[in-house]
Amino acid sequence: MKKALFILAVFVSSAFGEVDNEATRDVLERLALAGKSEQTGVLAELAQLGDPFIKEFVDAWRVGEVFSYEISDTETIVLQRVSENYRRLSNDEVIEIPNTESDKVSKIRPSRSLRRELKKITDTIDLASPDVGTRMDAALKLGLSQRLEYMESLQSKFEAESNARAKAAFEEAINIIILANHQSPEELNQAVQRLGELKSLPGRDQISGIQTKAVEEGNSELASICSTALRQIDNRQRTIERWGNLVRGLSLGSVLLMVAFGLAITFGLMGIINMAHGEFIAIGGYTCYVMQNIFASSFGEQSAAYQWFFWVSLPICFLVAGGIGYGLEKGLFRFLYKRPLESLLATWGLSMVMQQLFRLKFGAANVQVNTPDILIGNFDFWGIALSYTRVFVVAFAGFVVVMTWLLLTKTNLGLYIRAVMQNRNMASSLGIPVSRVNSLTFAFGCGLAALAGAALSQIGNVGPSMGQTYIVDSFMVVVVGGVGNLLGAGISALGIGTVDQFLQPTFGPVMGKIIVFLMIILFLQWKPGGLFPTKSRSMDD
Amino acid sequence: MVHIPGEKHTPLILSVDGVTKSFDGFKAINDLSFYLSEGELRTVIGPNGAGKSTFMDLITARTKPDEGKIVFHKDNGEDVDLTRVREHHVSQLGIGRKFQNPTVYRSHTVYDNLQLSLSGRRNLLSSLFYSESQEDRDKIHHVLDTVRLTEFKDDLAGSLSHGQKQWLEIGMLLAQDPRIMLVDEPAAGMSDEETERTGELLLSLEGKHSLIVIEHDMEFVRQIARRVTVLHQGQVLKEGDFDFVKSDSKVIEVYLGRQSRKH
Amino acid sequence: MNVFDSKLETRGFIVTMIVLLFAIPMMNAFFPENSFFHISSFQLSLWGKYVTYAILAMSLNVLWGYTGMLCLCQSLFFALGAYAFGMYLVLHIGIDDVYNTPLPVFMDFQGYTELPWYWAPFEYAPFAVVASLAIPGLVAFVFGTLIFRSRIRGVYFSIITQALTYALMLFFFKNNLELFGQSYILFGGNNGLNDFKEIFRANINSAATQRWLFIASVVLMLSVYLLIAWVLKTKFGKVQQAIRDSENRIRFSGYSTSTYKLLIFTACAMIAGAAGALYVPQVGGINANEMTPAKSLDVVVWVAFGGRGTKFGPILGAVVVSLLKSFFLRAAPDSWLIILGGIFIFTVLFMPNGLVGLPGQLKPWLNRIRGNKPLVSEEASSPSVP
Repeated sequence: MKKALFILAVFVSSAFGEVDNEATRDVLERLALAGKSEQTGVLAELAQLGDPFIKEFVDAWRVGEVFSYEISDTETIVLQRVSENYRRLSNDEVIEIPNTESDKVSKIRPSRSLRRELKKITDTIDLASPDVGTRMDAALKLGLSQRLEYMESLQSKFEAESNARAKAAFEEAINIIILANHQSPEELNQAVQRLGELKSLPGRDQISGIQTKAVEEGNSELASICSTALRQIDNRQRTIERWGNLVRGLSLGSVLLMVAFGLAITFGLMGIINMAHGEFIAIGGYTCYVMQNIFASSFGEQSAAYQWFFWVSLPICFLVAGGIGYGLEKGLFRFLYKRPLESLLATWGLSMVMQQLFRLKFGAANVQVNTPDILIGNFDFWGIALSYTRVFVVAFAGFVVVMTWLLLTKTNLGLYIRAVMQNRNMASSLGIPVSRVNSLTFAFGCGLAALAGAALSQIGNVGPSMGQTYIVDSFMVVVVGGVGNLLGAGISALGIGTVDQFLQPTFGPVMGKIIVFLMIILFLQWKPGGLFPTKSRSMDD
Repeated sequence: MVHIPGEKHTPLILSVDGVTKSFDGFKAINDLSFYLSEGELRTVIGPNGAGKSTFMDLITARTKPDEGKIVFHKDNGEDVDLTRVREHHVSQLGIGRKFQNPTVYRSHTVYDNLQLSLSGRRNLLSSLFYSESQEDRDKIHHVLDTVRLTEFKDDLAGSLSHGQKQWLEIGMLLAQDPRIMLVDEPAAGMSDEETERTGELLLSLEGKHSLIVIEHDMEFVRQIARRVTVLHQGQVLKEGDFDFVKSDSKVIEVYLGRQSRKH
Repeated sequence: MNVFDSKLETRGFIVTMIVLLFAIPMMNAFFPENSFFHISSFQLSLWGKYVTYAILAMSLNVLWGYTGMLCLCQSLFFALGAYAFGMYLVLHIGIDDVYNTPLPVFMDFQGYTELPWYWAPFEYAPFAVVASLAIPGLVAFVFGTLIFRSRIRGVYFSIITQALTYALMLFFFKNNLELFGQSYILFGGNNGLNDFKEIFRANINSAATQRWLFIASVVLMLSVYLLIAWVLKTKFGKVQQAIRDSENRIRFSGYSTSTYKLLIFTACAMIAGAAGALYVPQVGGINANEMTPAKSLDVVVWVAFGGRGTKFGPILGAVVVSLLKSFFLRAAPDSWLIILGGIFIFTVLFMPNGLVGLPGQLKPWLNRIRGNKPLVSEEASSPSVP
């Protein structure tokens, strides 16, 4: 219900705009009506505003969509023509102009000199944007154009800027401009040095060009300054790469974690090695795909509601996989308790059957699950671009872990699960409904796998054998973590995922995997029972 | 300290010196010292969690101590540090162990169970080209007699009753001809009559082997007790003959105290 | 020393030997093609393939059925043996008529003009034959040493061996290995090794060659059978089964179980490698698809379906499942995997002793249907193996 309301709200807000930039509109109106002598003052005022509306209006003005209208003898207002409607500039109201008054409306156009001034303002407008990221992007864009004419506004914005990161970006832009427009060798040296200190990635190409030239010209001082600067920049670059790897590793680890949690719970609780666990990942992926198609056919792909398919899929994945898991537990897994090797075989058979069913239903090729708009793109974390999908996956895994923890420690079901894990017979004789607990736990584990599959649909492929790609890794996670131990599974999932991503750039994905595998074997030499071994007094289990 | 195994030709066969073993900070065995003489039958008792099983694991090198020494004194006067050998060597040295739950090879016959346990070479080639000698056959039949399983010798071990499995395991130990036998709860799950016969069997081994018997059943302990060691919280609480130990106030407190708390 | 358990087994062995070693090759060689008794060369090499599968299944059965180690890398060893011998075969194709190169075509594509050092020895047949045993053996020895040293067993053993398979499969799917700035050409990547022309200087596709390969496979199978039957009679075999029943007990009886397991593991890897070496010339190629974890599990289903822990079961299982596969792949290709999966589940749930154990399992039922008195224990079945 809440979701439906929210979707409605999205519709409403996009249909009726509100004027929230009265100040800007006021300045623009005054500028449009100002005489030549007054313009300079108003322009200065305008330059201080960072409203993107200015750009929109100036564009309209340039192409002749702006009009003045004498409402009365004393009052003249400015109109903007937007798709055959006249809208009043000051409050965006649609104004009906009676035919009799058509002579009171006249097109206004900016003079050539005013246009030049306006262009400068619109080019630099984002420098004053309230959003720090936009300000920084704009500064770097102007810097990279290396045109001296932007120097002045960059300088003034630099001095006025209070945000440290934006200030650095302005300084970077200024120095990059100096690289191409320096007055003296000292100025150039200083600029290069400063850019090195600022670890300016955008300036790297220019600096390395300058270095080559300096070497050719035998200017050793400049060359050495350049190489110092380049070294600083390259260090920065490596840091960024490392962080990128870390995030990719963490997101891969997060997926493994959700998968391994399910495995660890089912193994710890019922002694079942579920080789078909990977197919529940695929169920998650395919559920998202089906939901996407349902949304596309009932709302249309352009609609705002379509964007919600992924979020709606998440609980549905969990329920679908949980339901299938519940049924399978009742019909098959129940007979395999505490027979790990047999369960391994039977579930492998199940996994083959399920994969083939996916193939028959959805085709052998991978299917495309779209990314909701909100997760497209990167956000900037100290100059490091982190993709929203990956960050989302990590956060989502964190959420799942917390929920699992709450389930296990704060609910009755969790208490039962832990009791059954420790001593099945005792729990049963204490009146715990063991078979119900088993079914629910198994369903829960399957649901977790499906959530992992949903997360994977955003960073990987969805296909009939997608589960197989992750199942071997997930088993490794369980073995390294210590079987049936959730904390161990968590640590080893993140560890294996991250190590894998760090090895890949150097060794390639295949050798990376092989090295990870060798490391696991060696790790088990040192700790045969995994990170948190199960303690057992009996000699033969 | 009472006994110090300084000389080589002491009658001691096993010395445990100041051994400590902890699991995750919990000291299962705490500075434990224990000495066993040649041919002695020693009974070890103690409440649950006293460290009895860990004690056995340490002697058989299943777990390694954090501190301390465990020394086995061989016939020829040589000393072997048991903390530095692997499990299968411990048994080749002449230390046999019977597990708490009877553990037999259930898809082999009783006869084969004993044959596999016979002392002798245990490497790959000798087992591939082993052929049974008359001596081995006699030995197996002798053991079968001793543990009263002659009529079951061709049955699968898995089909024996619980008590018979216990005996078979004791028989397997005897077939190994060990110098020290570690016997963990031999009477568990047995009827009174079987228990008594087990006691007689163990008593008959005294002198030929050194035995450490861990037991809970006080009736059984009374039957076989010579010298008794009481373990408590990983340490030796008391050592002496059964009546002495039984009347000791600390021992009573440890045992009865626990019982009174239960009620 | 008689290695057989019963007169029936002795007779069966002798009959099988006569049929497979003499009758069938002769029916292929001496009867005209339109005769009722003729067996085509295609059929013969198909059955030769099944025989190598049977050997593979027997090697897994020694590990799983008799020693209790469910090894999920058996078809990896099979493939390693196949690759080692396939490397010999691929180096004896001769000059390629299209690309005019004496090297394997995939090397020519990458601009190689001579064999890399690790390929060169495989030109020699004796080396390749030894390597097809030694390479799987060596991999098993090194890996087994680590695994058994850290006492990994039961399900963990299965999981780790599966991971090994997975890792090496990825490796064999690659065309090149880039290591420390050097590029090494591997073993044909996706396509693997195929298109062989000659073996030991004979035309590989001729009927006579295929017949000899069939005979060699049967000889290997029968020898492996005899070897297994003999080992089971020795004390070694008893230790082996004791490890399955209670590894701790046998260790405390003074046997170094890890040494025993290591030897068995290595020997089984070598047997699988030998089977692989015979597989390659009869099938005409090998590629990394034979190394997928799924293939190893296929072997497990052969053994389970035929009857693990029995001498004959694995052979029966390998042949029956392979026949089912070739039937269903033609009749209903889409449902083969579903049927195979179904066999897995059904076998585990309802046929713990496999086909070989089925008569014993069904006896009480049959007796009841015939109206005999019900037996004392209706569901009696031989003790299941862990």
